[in-house]
Amino acid sequence: MALDYKLVIWNSFKKQYDKLIVAGMLLYIIVFAVLTFVFNSETSVETLIIRAFGSLAIIMLHIVLVIGPLSRLNEKFLPILYNRRHLGVSMFLAAFIHGGFSMFQFHALGDVNPIYSVFTSNMDYNSLSNFPFQVLGFLALLILFAMAATSHDFFLSNLSAKVWKRLHMMVYLAYALIIAHVFLGAFQQEASLFSVSLMALGFITISSLHLRAAFKERKIDRAKTIVEEGWLEVCSIDDIEEDRAKIFTVNKERVAIFKYDGKLSAIHNVCKHQGGPLGEGKIIDGCVTCPWHGYQYLPHNGQSPPPFTEKVATYQLKLKNDIVYINPEALAEGTEVKPVDI
Amino acid sequence: METVINIFLTFLGVYFLIGILFGIFFLFKAPKIDPLMADSKKKVRFLLFPGVIATWPFLIGKLFKSKTA
Repeated sequence: MALDYKLVIWNSFKKQYDKLIVAGMLLYIIVFAVLTFVFNSETSVETLIIRAFGSLAIIMLHIVLVIGPLSRLNEKFLPILYNRRHLGVSMFLAAFIHGGFSMFQFHALGDVNPIYSVFTSNMDYNSLSNFPFQVLGFLALLILFAMAATSHDFFLSNLSAKVWKRLHMMVYLAYALIIAHVFLGAFQQEASLFSVSLMALGFITISSLHLRAAFKERKIDRAKTIVEEGWLEVCSIDDIEEDRAKIFTVNKERVAIFKYDGKLSAIHNVCKHQGGPLGEGKIIDGCVTCPWHGYQYLPHNGQSPPPFTEKVATYQLKLKNDIVYINPEALAEGTEVKPVDI
Repeated sequence: METVINIFLTFLGVYFLIGILFGIFFLFKAPKIDPLMADSKKKVRFLLFPGVIATWPFLIGKLFKSKTA
């Protein structure tokens, strides 16, 4: 929520996280260098840099990819989610150093354009054992570049949330390309059972966490509601915690019903900022507060408090014998609905 | 295969070239795309420059829409 764009939105919490990211990256590079010189002292500095930053980027990409499902499974991980953007950009920088040094060492010293050389120095595209794996890394780096370069609220606002989200979902394509890049490339040259096992373990972890999170979401979507004269019976009043919400799927849309100050209100569950789940947030200072980045909405009209302009759809509720009913027809975004008194 | 590579790399080159030109336009005329840029610090435009290069077709679309609106 802003009236202008900031260079970087920092607070003391985010600064602590960023320091942790930088310290972690530095520590990894130092440990990697020391271990390389101890166990493989013939390694050149260029090769060391390529391997250190390449493996660092892969580890960071795994962390980036598990944060989403982890925070959906356990809200204790939500604070890490808030800083995922900076972690993602740092991961791109590590991948960029890896890619830049690789291109310099293997492709920039001849008289052919280095990028052209990446694609044409090995034309064995029909071979699995000798596939030009660097092409896959280059394509992954292009995707990571587009993602890192658009990791700013300006792009979220100007590309539209839908386009922005689609662009950033391409991280899974980048991940697939990177896995292929690593397996076909590094493991072709120096097959290490430890590295292969580690990559496989990473893939299994990411897949299983995403599946678990998807099953949890499916439960919400499949929760049964009972229709009564056009109203849907959704839950008992006691099922909703004070200053919290319960999420239901109504007409294929997720709706969050909030209980606060002896009242009930229902709004669309999707935050206008990055599509965060509003129903997993709480009421803070009288506003529904998105758990992802703190965007706020007034529960009775779905509008962000002035001077902000974001709006979400609202829904009518009624209460009968402590049972909550919802009118499944969404009202226009920002429509005022009198809260139901408990 | 070489033809496919040539077409792809030419496309990539042209895409980035237009992106850079549009990025330079953005550095000077950012508020034409998003009015909030008028109140934002100039440094923000430089930070956004690579992203503008990457997503210029969408931003040009927005620029034309705001002109015709």
